[in-house]
Amino acid sequence: MAGCRAFFAYPITPATEIAEAMSRLLPRVGGIYLQAEDETAAMHMCIGAALGGYKAMTATSGPGYILYADPYGWAIGCEIPLVVLNSQRVGPVSGITGAPGQGEFYLSRYPTQGGNFETIVLAPNSAQEAFQLTVEAFYLSERFRTPVTILADQLITDGWEDISIPETDEEKAAMGLRFMERKVHPGPDFYPPTDEIDLPPVVVGKGKNVLCSDWTPTEEGFDIETVEAQHKHAYRLIYKIRNHKDLIMRYDTLFLDDDPELIVVAYGTPSRVVKTAVKKAREKGQKVGMIRPISLWPFPDELFTNKAIYFSVELNYDGQMVREVQRAAPKGSEIHFFGKCGELPTVAELHEMFDKLLNGEPLTRKGWEWEAW
Amino acid sequence: MDYLARNYLRSRKIPSTACSGCGLGQCHKAMVQAIHELGYKVEDIIWATSIGCAGRQTYATWKGDSFAGTHGRVYAIARGLRVVLPPEKRIVMTVGDGDAFGIGFNHLLHCARTNCDMTIMVCDNLGYQSTGGQYGWTTPPGVVTDSSPYGMFEPNWVQKDQDVLMILKAAGATFLARHVSTDGRAMVETVKKALQNRGFSLIHVIYPCTTNFANTALGSREPAKIYRWIKDHAAPLGQEKPDTLWSTGIYYDASNSRPEFSQVVREKVAEIQRRYANEGTH
Repeated sequence: MAGCRAFFAYPITPATEIAEAMSRLLPRVGGIYLQAEDETAAMHMCIGAALGGYKAMTATSGPGYILYADPYGWAIGCEIPLVVLNSQRVGPVSGITGAPGQGEFYLSRYPTQGGNFETIVLAPNSAQEAFQLTVEAFYLSERFRTPVTILADQLITDGWEDISIPETDEEKAAMGLRFMERKVHPGPDFYPPTDEIDLPPVVVGKGKNVLCSDWTPTEEGFDIETVEAQHKHAYRLIYKIRNHKDLIMRYDTLFLDDDPELIVVAYGTPSRVVKTAVKKAREKGQKVGMIRPISLWPFPDELFTNKAIYFSVELNYDGQMVREVQRAAPKGSEIHFFGKCGELPTVAELHEMFDKLLNGEPLTRKGWEWEAW
Repeated sequence: MDYLARNYLRSRKIPSTACSGCGLGQCHKAMVQAIHELGYKVEDIIWATSIGCAGRQTYATWKGDSFAGTHGRVYAIARGLRVVLPPEKRIVMTVGDGDAFGIGFNHLLHCARTNCDMTIMVCDNLGYQSTGGQYGWTTPPGVVTDSSPYGMFEPNWVQKDQDVLMILKAAGATFLARHVSTDGRAMVETVKKALQNRGFSLIHVIYPCTTNFANTALGSREPAKIYRWIKDHAAPLGQEKPDTLWSTGIYYDASNSRPEFSQVVREKVAEIQRRYANEGTH
């Protein structure tokens, strides 16, 4: 529906179902599915297809996502629209293959080396939202000329849920789906030092005399080693995204407008349990609210205006998003973290922690697992 | 500027940024000459390169489309591009020995496996020269480099019975050749044959590095010495001498004898699309 006609991937649990579905569906609409020799090749082949004017996608899990580091950087630098799905499982390394994790929160912000860029990352919490955000990811990747990561988890890609797929333009619009066709940059100034979006990407084979490489480019794409050219390039890669954050920002909030004492922050599938827990806590009379970032990067600092007790619930033990919460929360806020991995938190255990946090008690039940920030 | 440069290359990249005396220009010119003699136009060729001396110095020289991959990955990019590119467009690559036979070898093998249409010239300066002169996978035995100060003692991939071209042949390549950059006309004729194969073609060309390799291996940066040394250690296939390191000529030519990958993909997709034309995608 989003116009994806090339999908290259390397088999990995729990993302293989996506590859299998694409192998079945894509050729029926004239698209190409191929299995790559490794994940590095998979994303590079996506780059190749994108260079040839196709909308391309790949899907993987953590151990493959780390191998995307190399092509991810190339695609950021050459401003190639691509969509990448990472179904997070339990790490580090191979960890537990068939269980959900959230270990790549920061990796999705810094998926490659070198710095000097911003990334766009969207995090669904259901199959329905994964469908909609995949369409959105293609849309944003075209407008911003950059790879977009859909940061899902094992429960989303392995889970079974009914989804609704719109058929008419009216239904698509009602669902908030946005589309953008691939355009072709006419050249010769493929890489202007501006923050503007909606520039067509480079496409080879169209007689546009395209230049694109991994080196710092001049505006035409020649390789150059000057600080000035690098500064211009970095400005573009950072500010084309930062200065248009409003086009990317998506979130879900609950009970934020009556000055809640406790605000629970969660993304992805844990947010579904958190939502239930927050609603039930409200029924008990507790002043609890919730923030669910859907666009994870750029991080939605704008949502953290209330001075409150913030409580980040994540599928990792080390605490990743909580660091951003700590940075974004207003002065005087308290920041806490609860992590699990491989399984979702339960409403009961969340309620136990809500009670403690609202009573000013520390979350120290198991030491290493419960850490107050 | 000669007529080849004027017609096919970007003036900004002339003169080349390669070191004085570098043999890369001979490789580069042979490719452009072959393209010219076959009558290709600028827009017919997509020129891909890699990293290192060969990649960096030939990137953005072609007047038409040109791209450079990160180290070793350009083969995967090219394979992804090949399957979506119109069949009349050709992919030409000038890459280095470390790129093709080291970091990118797995990707290269899969291009060969699928007989993916691309013409690759591996411009081999016998090691990693742009990083200062470390040994590589074709560095001759005993040669001193900055990272083999006691002489190269690892086996390499142009030795008897473990030739990288034989690996590529077994992997599915349909045109394979080796030259030294001083081969001139003979090399141009080989490249022309390679370009006429609709499939995976690779020409391995040894060229002199006058800066790093020559300095540590021969103790001299005098261009004549390294050029003579390479020439003296090369001989046409079947005319080898005891000290021959590189047998030159066409090793394997099965041009146009096996299905080309992008054509296979196009036909398969069209067939499936026809079969399901009247059904939904669900």
